[in-house]
Amino acid sequence: MNVTLSRLLLSMLWLLTYGCTAEMINPGIPSRSASVRFTEEIHLGDSERNPSTPFLRYAPDGRLFAIWTEDHDQPWPNGRPTGHQHGGDRAPSPLRNALVAASVDDGKTWSAPRRVNSAVEAVQGEENGPKIAVGADKRAYIVWSIPGEKGDKTRANIRFAMDDGKGGFTPARTLNEVKDAARFPIIEFAPDGKLLIAWIDRRIDGPKPRQLYLMRMEPDGQALTKNYQVGEGLCECCKLSINFADGGKTVYMVDREVDGRKIRNHVLRKSTDGGTTFSAPVEISNDGWQVPSCPHSGPSLGRDSRGQLHVSWFTLGRSEQEAGIYYSVSKDDGKTFAPRQLAHANTAPETLYNNLVVGDDDTVYLAWSNLDRDNRAQIYFRTLAPDGRTWSPMQQVSSAKGNASRPNLALRHNELTIAWTETDGEDSRVVIRSATVQR
Amino acid sequence: MKLSRMRIGLSAALVYVILTAMCMSPSSAQHEHEIKTTAAPTVGAPAVAFDLKTLDGKSAGLTNFRGKPLILNFFASWCDPCRDEMPLINDLASKAAKDGYNVLGIAVEDTRAAVTEFTKESKLVFPIALDLNSTVKRAYRIFGPPATFFIDGKGIVRDIVLGPITEERARNALQRLGVAGKN
Repeated sequence: MNVTLSRLLLSMLWLLTYGCTAEMINPGIPSRSASVRFTEEIHLGDSERNPSTPFLRYAPDGRLFAIWTEDHDQPWPNGRPTGHQHGGDRAPSPLRNALVAASVDDGKTWSAPRRVNSAVEAVQGEENGPKIAVGADKRAYIVWSIPGEKGDKTRANIRFAMDDGKGGFTPARTLNEVKDAARFPIIEFAPDGKLLIAWIDRRIDGPKPRQLYLMRMEPDGQALTKNYQVGEGLCECCKLSINFADGGKTVYMVDREVDGRKIRNHVLRKSTDGGTTFSAPVEISNDGWQVPSCPHSGPSLGRDSRGQLHVSWFTLGRSEQEAGIYYSVSKDDGKTFAPRQLAHANTAPETLYNNLVVGDDDTVYLAWSNLDRDNRAQIYFRTLAPDGRTWSPMQQVSSAKGNASRPNLALRHNELTIAWTETDGEDSRVVIRSATVQR
Repeated sequence: MKLSRMRIGLSAALVYVILTAMCMSPSSAQHEHEIKTTAAPTVGAPAVAFDLKTLDGKSAGLTNFRGKPLILNFFASWCDPCRDEMPLINDLASKAAKDGYNVLGIAVEDTRAAVTEFTKESKLVFPIALDLNSTVKRAYRIFGPPATFFIDGKGIVRDIVLGPITEERARNALQRLGVAGKN
């Protein structure tokens, strides 16, 4: 009996120690997860050019693609000034390039980067970063935003380029038919093989806030439609998220809305005709965050094999005490949403960024930023079991010296990859970690 | 035997309690609402001190502006309402020397290059500091730019405008700073 009790004691010790990892107790310690073990960090891009804003997407053939931005090479006109804070030998320039690399081993190693934009442009990043989709034809399709003619980032344009079949990319073209009116683009392949591109548009500057515009495209890059409006009342500075069902006939989009009182709740819009028309927006949660300024933090949407829709977002709610990353699910195809669940409360006053993906077994994988004990933004991660109630312990996956932000996840079967941007003063870098998740 | 089992049982319970307490430490508690930094800036309270550098490398701390009222504007080059209100802030700045106050812009979640470009493009006439690590933004609880703080010569916050400021609102805030009627 003593032996049994000793075993029980040891098992209890092991379980508690393993379930309560060092990184949870001390957020500064790099990740050693209880449930997900990430590989060591790797960095994408040229560290001298401030890589930033990674976005990951799997191709149908299993390759993982990453797109990010980097400073355009611009030497100092009269040599580097002494004591300048900017890292590297190049002068800071608003001109940025979009770079693409691919991985055949789920994010562990990467091909040499290829520059997407043939012309030198100020490719935008952060919330408004470039996005990539990859077709069954193995070609990559990319959208990004550049400032308008007068350099105004808020009156911007959506650019598009695709693999040219010769190892490069086609010259970029502008997708918005009204100049200097579009940003926050997303691009996805619908299951029917057509491309759907959406963005936030301001060609009608009022009376309602921004509009949601779409266009559809053939895989050869030919436009199937002109720009068309499917919604209005969008927050002017928060990214969109999209998902599909029924072979592309059903399209789901989530965005942060803004009403006349500047309350910014999130909504789901659903199309049952392949994105031609959308239903009236369905409120996901009445958070009541009244903010007259730019949160710059959009929601994330995933759909599982049961057809349930999973959404995560950041809100301050009705007071700072409510602030945090929230999650909700719709089990009736977007008609209603369950009461929100708090995934992680703000540890300090800060806008947080989030991203989720859903596994083949309906597990939800959620990543977000929050502040650690030293007031540095770090990336955190946890999973929600298919039962919709059981959250894994939180893991800290970054150990940034400055701040880590805007995590982005990609998942294919059991292979999970996470990327984010780390900034420290004037320098930035793109960090990637991978994991094989258990099912 | 019975005593030994009891000891082991007690030890197990003790270890369980200790480790559970460790697991519920602040970093891992799931529904904790602790806000760790200083209290939110409020009207009538001293402004939070900071120490930043301007785009041209000059020191831009709160103490640099003591003795004269200060309009502290948080903005970002990517932010729509910031761009909308910037002509008004710039107009206030153009009258600042004559009317005896200072204006300082603090760029948040932005880069030197983008802010420099924005400053040129918008022909800004006041100094701009870079809050590259977001420390001042957090201290002033900016959950989204723009935000403008009106601070008197003794470093006391006299008015706060979250979101874009209007002419009327600016006039009222200047009155609170004691520079009313000069604009």
